[in-house]
Amino acid sequence: MTAAKIGAIGENDVMLIFKAVGVEVFPTESREEGAAVLSKLVKEGYAVIFITESMAVSLDVEMKKYSSRMLPSIVVVPGLKERNNYALERLRQSIIKAVGADVMKEK
Amino acid sequence: MVLKVNATRMELQQLKKRLKIAVRGHKLLKDKQDELMRQMLSQINEVKEKRMEIEKNFQSILQSFVLSQSELGRAQMEEALSLPSKRMAVNVETKTVMSVKMPTFKSEVSGNIISYGYMNTSGEMDVALIRFDKLIETLFTLAEMEKRIQLLADEIDKTRRRVNALEYKLIPSLEETIKFITMKLAELERSNLTRLMKIKDIVREH
Repeated sequence: MTAAKIGAIGENDVMLIFKAVGVEVFPTESREEGAAVLSKLVKEGYAVIFITESMAVSLDVEMKKYSSRMLPSIVVVPGLKERNNYALERLRQSIIKAVGADVMKEK
Repeated sequence: MVLKVNATRMELQQLKKRLKIAVRGHKLLKDKQDELMRQMLSQINEVKEKRMEIEKNFQSILQSFVLSQSELGRAQMEEALSLPSKRMAVNVETKTVMSVKMPTFKSEVSGNIISYGYMNTSGEMDVALIRFDKLIETLFTLAEMEKRIQLLADEIDKTRRRVNALEYKLIPSLEETIKFITMKLAELERSNLTRLMKIKDIVREH
């Protein structure tokens, strides 16, 4: 059992609330910045990384790289910008990958 | 496709052994795939519901938080939260399910969520923070579950490829090669026999 760190990446406004609960925050605004921070966090062994939805969309490629690793677990949280259901989409993608069909379709 | 081998008895024996192992491996992998699939399907709906619930909660918290921020002003807010007394870390344990390593998170929390005096901040902010404090536990559960789904999907994909490679490529080609060698050997046997008969005929005539 090892204690690991928790990080959060995203827009400044959303980061404040994470900071309040004691999560290490890395406010970023641009895609490049986000990618750099993300790879840094992964390298440093953060176990859980929260990332805002809008940032997650632009970092899609980078996040896919880490999805087959055991750590980190990247959790997408909704941000202040408009919703895009990125997380559910990601869930659907892994299901399609596994089952070969979309079993999560709305009935 | 017939493999490139010499049509000999020794080769035949070896191929038969390989076929036996391939069939056995195929059966085992197929079982593994079924079990992984079962695990995944049983968790999908749970994860989806949890995700939707958390998103709803988180958004309402965030909204009230941002609202209070606009009320207080950004500088004030950042000042109040500049030194959070709460510390958070996670303990990571690994659990192995069907040879897939999965993490389980246990949060380690210390300190109080309200790390500022009440004088300069609004009640709404306090409420939002306390609500978020409760939510963060479930966020870790979600992290764990979503990771599990991703890893399972990955493993299922890998296993499926192996099963297919065995089922549609290796096993048929082994079977075909075995058949080819058996035929070839039988043919040799026959040609040898006719040759002997022929020679015997010639010898008898003299």
